[in-house]
Amino acid sequence: MKIMTLGWRLALTCCIVMVMCFPAWGRTIKIGVIGPMQFVQGKGHWAGATMAADEINARGGVQVGGEKMKIELIKADSNEFINVADATNAMERLMTQDKVDFVVGGFRTEAVFPMQDIAMDYKKIFIDCGAATTALCTRVAENYNRYKYFFRQTPFNDIYLVRTSFAHLAMAAAVMKKELNVPIKCAIVAEKAAWTDGMIKAAQATIPKLGMELVGTWQPSDKATDVTAELSAIQKSGANVVFTIFSASVGITFARQAGELKIPAAQVGINVEAQKDGFWEATKGMGNYVFTTNTYCRGVEYNELTTPFMDKFIKRFNETPTYTAGGTHDAILYALVPSIEAVGSLDADKIVAHLENREYKVPSGIVKYEKTKDGKPTHDLTWGPGYLTSLGVQWQDGKLVGVWPNKWKLAPDGPEATYKGIVPMKLPPWLKK
Amino acid sequence: MGLALFYVKKFFKIVRNEVLVLPSRVVVGLFFIVLLGLPLITQDPYIVRIVILTSIFAILAASWDLLSGFTGQMNFGHALFFGVGAYSSALINLHAHIPPWGSVPLGAVVAVLAGLIVGIPCLRLKHTYLALTTLAFPIILTGIIFALPQYTGGEFGLSGVTRFTNSLIGNYYLHVVTMLVTAVVMWKITDSNTGIIFHAIREDELAVKASGINTTRYKLLAFSLSGFFAGIAGGLYAHYMRIAGPSTLEVSMSFMVVIWAIFGGAATIYGPIGAVFILYPLLEFFRIWPEYRTMIFAAVVLVILLYMPEGLIHWIRDKIETECPRCKIRNAATRKTCRVCTAGLD
Repeated sequence: MKIMTLGWRLALTCCIVMVMCFPAWGRTIKIGVIGPMQFVQGKGHWAGATMAADEINARGGVQVGGEKMKIELIKADSNEFINVADATNAMERLMTQDKVDFVVGGFRTEAVFPMQDIAMDYKKIFIDCGAATTALCTRVAENYNRYKYFFRQTPFNDIYLVRTSFAHLAMAAAVMKKELNVPIKCAIVAEKAAWTDGMIKAAQATIPKLGMELVGTWQPSDKATDVTAELSAIQKSGANVVFTIFSASVGITFARQAGELKIPAAQVGINVEAQKDGFWEATKGMGNYVFTTNTYCRGVEYNELTTPFMDKFIKRFNETPTYTAGGTHDAILYALVPSIEAVGSLDADKIVAHLENREYKVPSGIVKYEKTKDGKPTHDLTWGPGYLTSLGVQWQDGKLVGVWPNKWKLAPDGPEATYKGIVPMKLPPWLKK
Repeated sequence: MGLALFYVKKFFKIVRNEVLVLPSRVVVGLFFIVLLGLPLITQDPYIVRIVILTSIFAILAASWDLLSGFTGQMNFGHALFFGVGAYSSALINLHAHIPPWGSVPLGAVVAVLAGLIVGIPCLRLKHTYLALTTLAFPIILTGIIFALPQYTGGEFGLSGVTRFTNSLIGNYYLHVVTMLVTAVVMWKITDSNTGIIFHAIREDELAVKASGINTTRYKLLAFSLSGFFAGIAGGLYAHYMRIAGPSTLEVSMSFMVVIWAIFGGAATIYGPIGAVFILYPLLEFFRIWPEYRTMIFAAVVLVILLYMPEGLIHWIRDKIETECPRCKIRNAATRKTCRVCTAGLD
């Protein structure tokens, strides 16, 4: 009798353990999340994906026809910054070992190209949440039957990224003209890296067209710890605007030393370090008035989805979401899931046909996939007022605030864009003396 | 029929008398059989992919050994040949529309030229100076690639390179057989008179010169041959991945080749190949602990090199075979007397 009791107890324990370990009986929707997981970009992919999956699973899962299915995420470290072959192995593994239904992620273009090919071989939908190269989507238009399973979620393509930076520069110049009424002299300062080469050429061609005088181009090392020589030369050149192109730690050095030396020039452009919450601390407050592009900013609302998403993300991860985090979150929650539910199936062809014709809201704007002039789908993102624009943000007295778009128009007769929470751009006080 | 029977008998006789007598040869035979027979056991695309990439990198590691292991020309920029092979094949394929069967050998020829371009200025350099100079070449080429994005694709590389074949098994056999053939060719080169001269140059270049041998010619030959085989590997890589990008020229690629070769045992050809076939799949296996993957991999390499400084394959060979003190012929470790001269082996 005692043995029987023990046996029953064991059986009951086993049942409880099994129920706790496998809460989702039945089929799940497997989504592969691929990215450089040891780096901030991959961590962003994973954070965004887990947030979206948890939200969907908490409300019972995805309605696929007559069945409710939960989302199961499979993490794949592509290690793409170090080894491109590793990234393709990770993608192949997702396809053949983990047998995922969809893939989101990717960052380094050189790795995303072969990863894209593998996903297309298996006819699996792959949503890019990191690489900006236009050519990835050109492939969709050129060979639709093969590449139609590829979509871009974030960021918008490199051509639009450059145009956004020039829009920021034009706004800064307009503010200066209005407040100081001086001719605008612009210096380009870009870190020494391959990715900046194209931008420098584009900036050198565009700045004079914007009515500014180009006084020179400086390229310090991307890890420079002292840029006083460059700053002195910039000051001597008479520049009152510095167009920055920084992704590495030189962004902190430049901002800090420019602040310390009170260089009479406004910094506008790309400074990835300035997008981070720790920038103020890193520059000891000397990074005041630095302006950079960003996707999210506390207090700025693109639409009604922005604040709830930001609040949840900050509460959970204690930091502002990066664009890879936001994009991966949106790819699952707003791109894939509604299309799966609408077609009532996991059939990739049906989902593609539905998704490519949708226009849907995400916390950073409205997604609409572009088509070529002759109507071929590219699955690239539409950029401009009313769609995706990103933000121009500025450090103002210890707080990162949104300053762009502020009544921005892409064409004189086109729609205007201003988001809730956008404040006027401020010029450094020492520029006015 | 009679002739066929004669050759079959001869084959089995060779196997019995030349292969089965030495454990290392048995292992090599099994390696060939397993590789060629793997698709009969599994056609899992993931496993096939790993074996294909392993084969490509095995050619690359063996080509480094041919130059640095045998001739002692310490090359820390071997990715140059790999990258040149990859980019040349891709450019030829994309612009001249030559299929991979033509673009890979042509890419390898361009890599030979790269070998000569590197080899000539490096002739007067030795040891650390040579290593540092060779390290600079892939960095220079990367700079050129970024400077000419209209031809090279810049930081994004050249994508859309055509595949050899879309067949999984076709791809498998193409890469594996190429690896086996190039490995045998490299091994035969090192086993020939040329190989002996390569060895001698590494040990005492002055003595080789004093023997009336033109060491300059042989060192350039080593650079060219190494460049050719690394170029083949680069071409195969570009066509398999369908992209030739700057990552093929990265410093980490050059160092990875050195790690493979030293891990397996330099100046052997089979050592680096064995090392790649152990380390590359092992790194994939460590995906089960993604956070610690690279750390565990580094620890394995360090432990092996600490306890087996001559390389893992050398160490294993010394454990399973002994050399006859009289005739220097290798014997299975289990034998008490030499299989040729019958001298005692203890």
